[in-house]
Amino acid sequence: MSERLGFDHVTKIFEAPGSDTGFVAFDDITLEASPSEFLAIVGPSGCGKSTLLKMAAGLMPPTRGRVLLDGKPVFDPPPGVVYLFQQYAKSLFAWRTVIDNVMFPLEAAPRSQRNELREKCRDYLKQVGLSGFEDSYPWQLSGGMQQRVAIARALAADPQVLLLDEPFSAVDALTRMELQSLVLQLWERRKFTAILVTHDVEEAIFLADRVAVLGAKPTALKEIIDVGLPRPRDQLTTREDPRFLKLRHHLTSLLLARNPAHVAAV
Amino acid sequence: MSVVGTLEGASSKPSAAGSIRRRLGPRLYGVLLIAAILLFWEVSSRLGWIVSAYWPPVTKILWAAISQLGGGDILVSLAATLRRALTGYAIGSVLGIALGILLGKSKVLRIALLPLIEIVRPIPTPAVIPPLILFLGVDDALKIFAISLATFFPVFTNTFAGVATVDDTLIQTARTFRTSWARTLLRVVLPATLPAIAAGLRTATSLALVVAVVSEMVAGSSGIGYYLVEMQYALRPDLMYAAVMYLAITGYAVNRLFLVLEARLIPWMGKT
Repeated sequence: MSERLGFDHVTKIFEAPGSDTGFVAFDDITLEASPSEFLAIVGPSGCGKSTLLKMAAGLMPPTRGRVLLDGKPVFDPPPGVVYLFQQYAKSLFAWRTVIDNVMFPLEAAPRSQRNELREKCRDYLKQVGLSGFEDSYPWQLSGGMQQRVAIARALAADPQVLLLDEPFSAVDALTRMELQSLVLQLWERRKFTAILVTHDVEEAIFLADRVAVLGAKPTALKEIIDVGLPRPRDQLTTREDPRFLKLRHHLTSLLLARNPAHVAAV
Repeated sequence: MSVVGTLEGASSKPSAAGSIRRRLGPRLYGVLLIAAILLFWEVSSRLGWIVSAYWPPVTKILWAAISQLGGGDILVSLAATLRRALTGYAIGSVLGIALGILLGKSKVLRIALLPLIEIVRPIPTPAVIPPLILFLGVDDALKIFAISLATFFPVFTNTFAGVATVDDTLIQTARTFRTSWARTLLRVVLPATLPAIAAGLRTATSLALVVAVVSEMVAGSSGIGYYLVEMQYALRPDLMYAAVMYLAITGYAVNRLFLVLEARLIPWMGKT
């Protein structure tokens, strides 16, 4: 039920007016998420992490190199690849009720299946803890609940690959932990491939199997680390695990651009 | 809102006047001013401050207006005007919304059509009525065309500007769900633009009515514009003013209706 998504020597150059060379966002990135893997990509703010994810979603072409989904190059948004936006409020349809938002990806289906699909959507809402809010409008809900609607809608699209673009950065700390646990739960149940982009090192370690670290401009891959923490993970015990703290130390120093060799020796 | 509180706080015990005050709220002073002006009009005519056959007392105009309710010429004329205004408004609105969205989303169409639209837009619609008569005659074709034209521009301009403000995240969301271009326009861009479209549609209602009346004054033999000119020639100022009054009521009612519909149909307006 899941697929392999990879970046094959991807370079992205944005044309800058008045410049021949343009602005190099990424230089030669090769990285692959294997089926059912939870891959996190961390990098400093403004390093263009979202751009990487948008290329993965087929929303933006790379300048050089290829994005490969199960070995096939991605040009347009491929089926089964779903994108969870950071600005959930802007990605939900304000004129649709919660249930109709979740129905959106399913509306190409024949009319005869509508009722059945609607029931499915109710179930997705139940899975994200939003039973009873089917007929509310997104703008009547809190930020965390809105992102839950977006997650339920992503589930409705039957994701093989879920791309998470800093999806928890706009909610408060407690809500963030709840949403992280929710996503982990859904991932463990559905086993889609997940690629998370974040600047939150702890979030990356908590959720992912592997964490890829991006360096400063022009962005290149600095290091990939295996997390190796046991699953299922727990917001308290996992975060208190000495291995968690060691990884956090290592990744944070990488991002702060200290000497990682020195830190690793500690 | 604080003004309401002060008003209500000032009235110590509930009275008939207090209840009217509460109902009218902050509009009270506005209504009082209108009443004062009408009273001044009435008195100025009755007491001969203004001596003119064209300055009947308000009560006489009101009487003329009320006497029309039994099926007088004014209501028949008003119905003819509204029928034209509505037809032209519908045509102009549909074209304005469709072109606004298409031009907003298609660079090719924008390059091809925007200069033409921009050069026609500043022309006051009544100015093209005389030349149009040469092509379309003096009947409904002319009037409906002129009304459509007047309606088109505010609807188009608002829609076009509205499309530009639709957040890219919404479009990308539709794209990641592999929604077709046509479906994205219809199911995402159009509803997201509705608040802006509604603003254009509301502006256009008054313009449609204006151009309907003006075109009837210039040409033709029916409608409230024609009726106004007739009554002017017939030296019946009471009926003339009564017709104007009916137009005022119509315009006000349409605007109110629009606000109610907006709140009903676009509940998310201003919420995102």
